[in-house]
Amino acid sequence: MPSSWRLQSKTWLPKGFEMSTTKDKYKKVAYYPGCALEGTGHAYNRSTKAVGKKLGLDLVEVENWNCCGAMEVKNIDPKIQTYLSSRVMSTAANEMDMDVVMAPCNGCYHNLKKAEYDLANDDESVAVVDKLSQKAGHKTYESGQVETIHALDWIKDTIGEEGLKARVKNSLEGIKVANYYGCMYTRPRHIFPEKDQGPGSESTSKPHFMDDLLAAAGAENVDFPLKTACCGGAHTLSDSDTSTKLVLNILKAAKMSGADVIATECPTCHSGLEMHQIRAEKVFGEKVEMKILYFTQLLGMALGLKPRKVGVHENVSDSIQFLKEKGLA
Amino acid sequence: MPIHEKNLIRPEDIKTHDELVLDGVDVSGHWSTFIETRVVKDYNENLQEEIAALPGGEEIHRCWQCGSCTNACTVNAINPDFNPRYWIYLIRMGYESELLRDKDIIWQCVSCNKCTYACPRDVFPEGVMKATAHWLELKGHTSKSPSTHFDEIFTEQIVATGKIEESRTIRRFFTRTGQALMQPWLIEMTKRMLRGLPIGLLTRMGLATFVAPRTSDWSKASAAIQEYIDEQHDKHEQALSLAQLVETAKQDVAA
Repeated sequence: MPSSWRLQSKTWLPKGFEMSTTKDKYKKVAYYPGCALEGTGHAYNRSTKAVGKKLGLDLVEVENWNCCGAMEVKNIDPKIQTYLSSRVMSTAANEMDMDVVMAPCNGCYHNLKKAEYDLANDDESVAVVDKLSQKAGHKTYESGQVETIHALDWIKDTIGEEGLKARVKNSLEGIKVANYYGCMYTRPRHIFPEKDQGPGSESTSKPHFMDDLLAAAGAENVDFPLKTACCGGAHTLSDSDTSTKLVLNILKAAKMSGADVIATECPTCHSGLEMHQIRAEKVFGEKVEMKILYFTQLLGMALGLKPRKVGVHENVSDSIQFLKEKGLA
Repeated sequence: MPIHEKNLIRPEDIKTHDELVLDGVDVSGHWSTFIETRVVKDYNENLQEEIAALPGGEEIHRCWQCGSCTNACTVNAINPDFNPRYWIYLIRMGYESELLRDKDIIWQCVSCNKCTYACPRDVFPEGVMKATAHWLELKGHTSKSPSTHFDEIFTEQIVATGKIEESRTIRRFFTRTGQALMQPWLIEMTKRMLRGLPIGLLTRMGLATFVAPRTSDWSKASAAIQEYIDEQHDKHEQALSLAQLVETAKQDVAA
């Protein structure tokens, strides 16, 4: 691990980084769905693609991608995770000639960002990644070759709130949303150099990109205190009781702040909130019913897509009846 | 939220006497309690170096005990015994026996990184927790935690195929930890999932259980990763002088 980033004389920024409001280069991105989006998070995959198509944004899937290492590989060895993530970025940069990788999954996004940070600041990581890449027979990824963004950045920085307002067909008016960002989108701070850079940039302590986008689509964002709380996703199976307690906190807080729906941006959070809602009922006897939808599903419906097109029927929590009442289905 | 601190007097160390008179003063009952004397004799002078040799623990020496990690901790909020600040203190002081009293909960860190976010000294407490849990297992103080089993199954699958297929991971995890797959809440979840009849999703997941999704041209990368993991494993064993530990144990048994 590199020595203290706080003690470095300048704030660390990746090579070629610039702060701007309109980012045309985000209009065509290398799309890295990741393993979860091909399994339990399939609805997120489907809705992201549908929203991209509707907004005229180009997604080119990263060829022959591999797992980024998720939350687990780093516990075996963090440098393996750095290598796995670097291989994805290497493919995008060297074989597909892309500048930007878009990862909608918080875990993938976090890992790619972390690999970028380590490769820019830690010589030991560079050496290990180089050795493994050579043995595996592909080009070594060098820091700064691609920029990794989240699906939120992707929509916010290309279409923006004004653009979205102009495109809304079915306003989300009357839907009270609790925006849930989870852990990996903002923490730890040092791997997200573009955040906390003043007006227009994302905040790591009070993230607001999802709030902004859904508000532009007409939804009412409730004051939800547990935006960046943890759902216990890393131990969802190995320490289920802890996860269930953490999820119950989130669900109750959302209920108390008057939300109809929790909007998510991570397949692990999403399935955690759905799974442990049922587990809390079955094992703890506590029933807190809350509808969970990906933010892309809400945006897609606002843009005039049918719920089936954005995979609402693939969610475990049943929100079809509610959406019908609100005139979206 | 206030800074959480740890009560250093444990309930089991407090002695009350039903009837006791000392120097003519009645000290029985709860009003005047006695605390069992604690004498720490078995320091492990290498404890900090051993933790620092494991991935994640490298920066433990930077800690100045402000307690921000414990204050921010997700798990501490549900279990006050989960106290990263205190464990870092024990490790740096070499109080191995004290650390071992909490050995069964250290693995429960959920990696939410709130501690790393709050830490003013870049100790990366989340990494220290993982290194400590790893240390406990390598030294044989605890058996492999469910979390470690999960990490291993996950990594094995990535090394083998390059991708994760979730139902396979779940099944292997339940088998390896000896739990029944047919848990009532899992059945209920599957039932609710079937309600919307997402045919495309079901077909894909069904097919994936027979044919694992894989990254093509993965064999060379797979071999390289496995080789690196083995290399690191040997390095950790050396840092913790595990061979010596086994040797001493053998001699003890022989004696």
